[in-house]
Amino acid sequence: MPITRNKRTRPAALVLSLLLALVAAGCASQFPQLYPPNASTSQGAEVRTLYDIVFVLAVVIFLAVEGAIIYAVVRYRRKPDDADLPPQTHGNNLVEIIWTIIPTIIVVYLFVVSWQALNTVEAKSDHPGVRVKAIAERFAWSFAYLGDDGTTPLFTTDAQGHGVFGTMVVPVGEPIHVTLHSPDVIHAFYVPKFLFKRDVNPGPVENNFDFTVDAGDVGQTFRGQCAELCGAGHGGMTFEVKAVTRAEFDTWLKQQIDAAKKAPPASGSPPAGSPPGGSPPAAGPVIELAAQNLAFDKATLQAPADKPFQIHFVNKDNATQHNVQIKNPDGTVAFSGDLVTGPAEANYNAPALKAGSYPFSCVVHPAMTGTITVQ
Amino acid sequence: MATTALTPAATYRSALYEWVTTTDHKKIGILYLVNSFVFFFIGGILALGVRSQLAVPDNKLFSPDLYNQLFTMHASLMLFLFIIPILAGFANYVVPLQIGAPDMAFPRINALSFWMLPLAGIIMLAGFLVPGGAAAEGWTSYSPLAQAKYSGVGTDLWLVAVTLIGTSSILGSVNFLVTIFKMRAPGMTMFRLPILVWTALVTSVLVLMATPVLTSALIMLFIDRNYGGAFFDPANGGNAVLWQNIFRFYSHPAVYIMILIVMGIVSEVLPVFSRKPLFGYKAFVFATAGIGALGFSVWAHHMFTTGTVYLPFFSFMTFLIAVPTGVKMFNWIATLFRGQLTFATPLLFALGFLTMFLIGGINGAFSAAVPVDFALHDTYWVVAHLHYVLFGGSVFGVFAGVYYWFPKMSGRMLNETLGKIHFLLVFIGFNVTFFPMHLLGLEGMPRRIATYASTAGWNQLNLLATIGSLIIAASAVPFLWNVLISLRSGEPAGDDPWEGNTLEWATTSPPPPYNFDHLPEIRSERPVFDARHGRTGGHGGQS
Repeated sequence: MPITRNKRTRPAALVLSLLLALVAAGCASQFPQLYPPNASTSQGAEVRTLYDIVFVLAVVIFLAVEGAIIYAVVRYRRKPDDADLPPQTHGNNLVEIIWTIIPTIIVVYLFVVSWQALNTVEAKSDHPGVRVKAIAERFAWSFAYLGDDGTTPLFTTDAQGHGVFGTMVVPVGEPIHVTLHSPDVIHAFYVPKFLFKRDVNPGPVENNFDFTVDAGDVGQTFRGQCAELCGAGHGGMTFEVKAVTRAEFDTWLKQQIDAAKKAPPASGSPPAGSPPGGSPPAAGPVIELAAQNLAFDKATLQAPADKPFQIHFVNKDNATQHNVQIKNPDGTVAFSGDLVTGPAEANYNAPALKAGSYPFSCVVHPAMTGTITVQ
Repeated sequence: MATTALTPAATYRSALYEWVTTTDHKKIGILYLVNSFVFFFIGGILALGVRSQLAVPDNKLFSPDLYNQLFTMHASLMLFLFIIPILAGFANYVVPLQIGAPDMAFPRINALSFWMLPLAGIIMLAGFLVPGGAAAEGWTSYSPLAQAKYSGVGTDLWLVAVTLIGTSSILGSVNFLVTIFKMRAPGMTMFRLPILVWTALVTSVLVLMATPVLTSALIMLFIDRNYGGAFFDPANGGNAVLWQNIFRFYSHPAVYIMILIVMGIVSEVLPVFSRKPLFGYKAFVFATAGIGALGFSVWAHHMFTTGTVYLPFFSFMTFLIAVPTGVKMFNWIATLFRGQLTFATPLLFALGFLTMFLIGGINGAFSAAVPVDFALHDTYWVVAHLHYVLFGGSVFGVFAGVYYWFPKMSGRMLNETLGKIHFLLVFIGFNVTFFPMHLLGLEGMPRRIATYASTAGWNQLNLLATIGSLIIAASAVPFLWNVLISLRSGEPAGDDPWEGNTLEWATTSPPPPYNFDHLPEIRSERPVFDARHGRTGGHGGQS
């Protein structure tokens, strides 16, 4: 049976007009560019330069090859009078060698420039201005500021009110050395504006890297987020990097260290008795809360104002993870308990809260919600 | 033209018995195809779930743990139960025919390989019914997240299912290798093998070398989870990144397992519809073998941000593997040049493959440049890249194969108008869905997040991608309708509706049991072309 020749469409023209329509639609609306954002670190600027090189080559290659495809499709359509076979070309060694060598040269060039950029991005300073240990734990970030020896913690941002929870404050214009620690699963430290991410591997060997925020970005706050799937709360595992001047940083750090000395952070499971010293008891009143059938058993809880309290949380759902996360009225996280796989229970030490109304939920099941009234 | 004998109507019971017990490679091939399409549609529905959740910010349509199950099962079904098996299905149907063999070398093992797949699929999907739900760690199942501490029985079911699928692949690959080496018809030398057979051969070698590595990793993880092992659990002295090394040692060659046979399909379709031989046959064979070999040296390019690999080596090898892939692209385009192109649906999908795979190759080069990968890794850029390779590449090639061989398998032509509507919808839907993901990745949207804040600036692009996914879903309608009406009342195909080159077109449609009453002489890689035109010229020096 011969091939039907009367039904001829022009896919090339169709495809072309489609692509044009897409491009036009793109330009008309406020479409983001095909570029990453301008980097806010010197390392990120290297990445951006490299991206631009790859991008230019990519566009040239795409246009050349796509142009050849479209040309062939338009030019070599079978015509009604094409009865004879076209020339039966089986190959041509010369052109095949040429089109093997040209891509080889291009990829070797790309390899060399990316290796050079890599060495800059990976370079580490002998005398970083600040040493921070970023701790990624399901599903929150905290940041321990370390002494010059790189090991002694000065203070740690945490959910108990030290520093700003989930915020890393750094001075601009000097290298910041970050080590990455995870006590549970793999996470990844990712700040889009730095054009950089690095995995946070659990285990004895911790990844580390340096970054230097541009002096021009002082006062900026950069959004960061976990980039390696770490469980149900992965999407909400965000943090911020706040860039300040060196003077502001010194003042802030001193304040935080002093505050941390006055009130040592609550440990994981404080003894029930009253701790020594004048600090308020870590384990205040105990609030009972349970989760069953993907719901909390209470929609409202009462807690005392300005006093840490404890939540005795019982997860009755078999093989299902729940936790309790308390949010401040402005939407930031005030406290996030460890996930508990049911059936099991946990004692959460919640921080002191000011009087007011605080929503709580389970990070795994956002539909599980309630309100804590603090008074 | 030999008359086409359609299978006479049989009683329901005996037909069922026949399909369940068959060892005919053609029937098994069709079983593979149908089974794979069932999982393709289930996987597609899961993808629509993913896109519905991401259509708007702060969406609470699905809880995050259910969302994680959705994308994990979407990827697992699409990779393990759709792309890999459907290519095995095409090879099953076509390879014995193209080499002039009566069947596969081991017909019963062939049946066993197939029947493991629906079983594995049921086991994997059963995860949705157990407490804690299906596996939710992503199809990569990274440890420690996949340890018993963090995940439920669904993950065990997933491990069992993937082990079964791997075993099926390994058995199949041995079968293909023996068939190709031992059962070629007289005159069918290695350099007269159709390119599809070459790609099936190289794929089988990859499966044989890579899949046992995956199987061992799966068993080790199963031991970790259930019998107190600690291979991959740093909390007990194991190593988390070890899992990634072993898994990726499989899963990068697996990318070629998912694309080489597709390249074979395209290399069958382009010459037939341009009435020319494939340009540079031998270069194509060497490029296929080269991709297969280099494929084993690039696994750690999935791990650039782990801080545990020697970056320059894997960067260099990753760039290098672009060369044989580029050579293939040039050979395909040179095949079109000075040809006489007929735009039947198989050619449209093959051209769609060229265009989309071109983008999928080029956007992969960004990630080979290590520092750029630091920015793009695990963002939606990577989601765009992998879909341009595996959907724009593999799925378009699969559809080219379906439209190309459906007449051979069924004896009836598919409707061309519906086929073109199908192509147009998939082509548009695909690009509207996945092109915006490049931009989302550049804007910093990580993959695998269940929802995002409305202030993140990702709202419009996500909505656009979701609209695109609905267009893709709509494209299933003309396709399924086409298959249904064509099976009932399609135009009879005859032996050789496309003026094909290779031996499957020298027998009836569908072919009789054991395939051939007699074979034409085989003096080149295009025996049926030679018989039609009275020529004996093959590629360089092979005449």
